[in-house]
Amino acid sequence: MRGYRALIRATARAALAYRFNLLLGLGGVLMQLVALLAVWRVILADSPVNGFTWPQMRAYLLVAFAAGTVVSIMGDFRMAFRILDGDVALDLVKPIDYQRARFAEALGGLWIEVVLIAVVVGIAMALTGGVDVPAAPGLALFAVSMLVLVPLKFLIVYVSTLACFWTQNFMGVQWARLAVVNLFSGALIPLAYLPGWLAGAAQWSPFAGLTSTPALIFLGRVDGRHALVLVAVQAGWVLALWFGARLVWQRALRRLTVNGG
Amino acid sequence: MPIVEAKALTKVFRRPDKGPGLGGSVKHLFARRFTDKVAVDHVDLSIEAGEAVAYVGPNGAGKSTTVKLLSGILVPTSGEVRIDGLHPQRDRMTVAHRIGVLFGQRTQLWWDLPVAESLAVLRDLYGIDRATYRKRLARFDEVLALGEILPVMGRKLSLGQRMRADLAAALLHAPRVVYLDEPTIGLDLAVKDRVREFFRSVRDEGTTVMLTSHDLADIEGFCRRLVIIDEGRIIFDGDLEAVKDRFARERILHIETARPAPLETLRASLPGAEVTVEDTPVRYAVRFDRFAMTAGQVVTALAGLAELVDIRVDEPSIEDVIRRVYSGELVLG
Repeated sequence: MRGYRALIRATARAALAYRFNLLLGLGGVLMQLVALLAVWRVILADSPVNGFTWPQMRAYLLVAFAAGTVVSIMGDFRMAFRILDGDVALDLVKPIDYQRARFAEALGGLWIEVVLIAVVVGIAMALTGGVDVPAAPGLALFAVSMLVLVPLKFLIVYVSTLACFWTQNFMGVQWARLAVVNLFSGALIPLAYLPGWLAGAAQWSPFAGLTSTPALIFLGRVDGRHALVLVAVQAGWVLALWFGARLVWQRALRRLTVNGG
Repeated sequence: MPIVEAKALTKVFRRPDKGPGLGGSVKHLFARRFTDKVAVDHVDLSIEAGEAVAYVGPNGAGKSTTVKLLSGILVPTSGEVRIDGLHPQRDRMTVAHRIGVLFGQRTQLWWDLPVAESLAVLRDLYGIDRATYRKRLARFDEVLALGEILPVMGRKLSLGQRMRADLAAALLHAPRVVYLDEPTIGLDLAVKDRVREFFRSVRDEGTTVMLTSHDLADIEGFCRRLVIIDEGRIIFDGDLEAVKDRFARERILHIETARPAPLETLRASLPGAEVTVEDTPVRYAVRFDRFAMTAGQVVTALAGLAELVDIRVDEPSIEDVIRRVYSGELVLG
């Protein structure tokens, strides 16, 4: 455990080295969020669409932004480049489990993402008005769902980054992942806007847990048993992916060719 | 029992066989063809605890691949590796504590953290207690002058500083076996000397060292055993001094005389040596076998014939021997 704690601390410190990048990125992310808010405000100005009113959509977008920012800054590109240039060789001679070590690094970067979320959500709320916070049980379940989101997001990023062992390229893998995740998680548009069959499939996929589940719980669009089922699906995928990732890793090791001597 | 043992170790890489240009790449998408490249071919190697082994070979001979197989980074296609009797993949955690690896071209330091923090992370990863950690750092500091680089960020290190810090990182957990792959690449002479001195101190403490280098000066005076690999096969495995005695026995004495001396007379006085004129008529090179005559005998013979202004002896290095082995001119073993 001491080793993993050291990795969490080291990543948390190293994340500070990216503070200028983060500030620049912050501007971009904020513009995108403001643009989305502006578009939905126009669309929903007169009447709700698919049951979403403007204040609900505003809350949805803010939750989607928070969920999208968690486990997004540290980790994946670093891991990918280590695989691509062969520095992963050095990770393999350490007395730690590779998957847990990468998870520790993702946790280390979390604090700076939380700061970023707090700043952006704060600014957005100040500009567009506050959001309705759900009642205590809903809020508690929302918090659980956001916590489960951390390992879930990590695992989806981790497994897709392992694809670098086969593809020898990271950009393509990242774009493909973003396209799938944005559509099936409800990050781009709520799943209710998708055709029924696609929405149904997406709801049971691991991706729904990345945005749709916490957002719907926060909005109070699902509650009681239905909400519990959605969080259980989220947690189920965490377990399945944790062990599935180990199988992928075993195969990746056999594929490993270390580039550049 | 040997601490490192490889039996019929083989690694085959599959390379995509693409035609030239975009056309070749597109064709490869539909009809995938691969060629097998045998990087390491049935290598048998057995290293006893405390040995210092030089592992040399031309570029692409399979040196680095062997090191990666012996440290459990790569899974062999066939054959097996044992480190201290353990299987490097099955017992990855235990093996990791017993081996240290330095790849001269890679760093394990954190780019965005000071060196001291990178080392502290390793301390925690390997579960080294603080007192031992301080003791080891102090010892590394003596030879590697670590103190001045501990507060420097990984990305701001010069190559020489980086290598010193990486050496400390690779040896922090006092591994029983150390693989050093090109540990002096790109370093200036002063840093090289320091790093070599560090290797000697590591060896003298009983650590088993396997050293891969293109700079054979790293090897001379450090390794007793020489292993040469070429095209994935071991072509020589034996005592380094014996190789030198056998193949590097020639000496060249360069002399400069006050006035041009008759070459025939010089040659007649030194049967068994080869005398040639160098760039000017007052400079000569005498090539002789150091087991047939001594440098002193050569000088005495020449001093009677001409007034010697300057003399210098060239000793062929192990580098020359190995160069001749690579080119196929010399077959060892």
